[in-house]
Amino acid sequence: MSPALNTDFLRSRLKLKSQQSELLLKTRHPSAVAFLESAGVRPGSIRKHAAKLLAAGSAAGTILLSPSPNFSLRTALPPASQSVSISPFDLHNNLISQLKSQLPLQVSPLDENQENHISQTLHANYGIHASAVLEGNRLNRSYGLIGAEQHLPRYPGDSISQHDQFQKSGITPGRGAWGYFAPSKLALTPDLIEKEKYYVAVQTLYLPDWSTRLPYLRDWYKHRKVVVVNPKNGKAIVAVIADSGPAAWTGKHFGGSPEVMGYLEAKDGKQRGPVVLFFVDDPQNQVPLGPLEYNLENPPQLMSS
Amino acid sequence: MSKIFYDHLILIEEIIPQLEPLDSESRDELIGIIDATFHHQILDLILTHLPKIHHEDFLTRFHSTPHDEALLDYLEARIDKNIKTEIQSLAQKLKKEILSEVKKSKHHHK
Repeated sequence: MSPALNTDFLRSRLKLKSQQSELLLKTRHPSAVAFLESAGVRPGSIRKHAAKLLAAGSAAGTILLSPSPNFSLRTALPPASQSVSISPFDLHNNLISQLKSQLPLQVSPLDENQENHISQTLHANYGIHASAVLEGNRLNRSYGLIGAEQHLPRYPGDSISQHDQFQKSGITPGRGAWGYFAPSKLALTPDLIEKEKYYVAVQTLYLPDWSTRLPYLRDWYKHRKVVVVNPKNGKAIVAVIADSGPAAWTGKHFGGSPEVMGYLEAKDGKQRGPVVLFFVDDPQNQVPLGPLEYNLENPPQLMSS
Repeated sequence: MSKIFYDHLILIEEIIPQLEPLDSESRDELIGIIDATFHHQILDLILTHLPKIHHEDFLTRFHSTPHDEALLDYLEARIDKNIKTEIQSLAQKLKKEILSEVKKSKHHHK
């Protein structure tokens, strides 16, 4: 008798492999991935998209040929279409309606109860473990206004022409609060490219214990993974903390990289908008950076027909 | 199973018997993860070899008719290398890696 499979171990190994391959694809071909995603398809979910096309074609044919006025569309569709997991569009709409009842009318600090409810909502929709407090650390705000930031130089000598997207956003003249991402262009890895692409700035300098616990907090916050959610359109994106700011006088609480802001569309006429920003609890580093468009614990499944 | 134009080159079905001991829910979940990995890596391979000028046109076609095997003819006409062989080699390598993970999971105690 062959030994039993350790399902949890296998799932975790396969998920990691899948996420690494997705990251590599996004790093090497960002425009292609953005092109497909703008058409509502994640590359890894192409089979689900194919099943939808098949179902739509099949349903259209059946409707045209059906003599019965009591025709049930759902039962006529192939099983594939009945098991289609929730689309990004529906995920966004679910989040909009749930957050509407959990967030205050005005952008203001959240209480613990509100933060806990939002953590549960994010987990239920996206399968992500995110919270306002992680390992005893919390930011000054978990719900606030985000503004657009420029690109950060990733290594000495980096220029805007070296960044593949959002070049019009420009690049900051100085380094981010945590320095360069890599000591040289040669040392820049796909992982670090992703980190600059999906970064946020947070107001660490206003933390009450920032100066007294600087060595510990500086390391803890460096490239700390967060999820940023625009409650107005339900879009969520995973990013890392890579800069400090903005200054309190701006009235903003967070800053977002050009890619983060481009995806969240979190800008009003004053170039700012409300977002929820929570830490992601991801000790195994399994949550990929970038737009969240499916439930991480219930990834799109292979369709059967 | 809904079809993708390169399915006959990758034969992902060869992995499924190795997951038979699992209940159907777990098996379907793992097959979904494996399937996504294949799509990521094959798309990466195609886009790496296909000249950038054709990317948008290819992606538009792929999005409209992901099942259409004529996409392989489209790629063959624009890629210098034998893309079918490249996809088959990548799939073989990936299947080997995944089967190795399955094997390891049999020896990994819960």
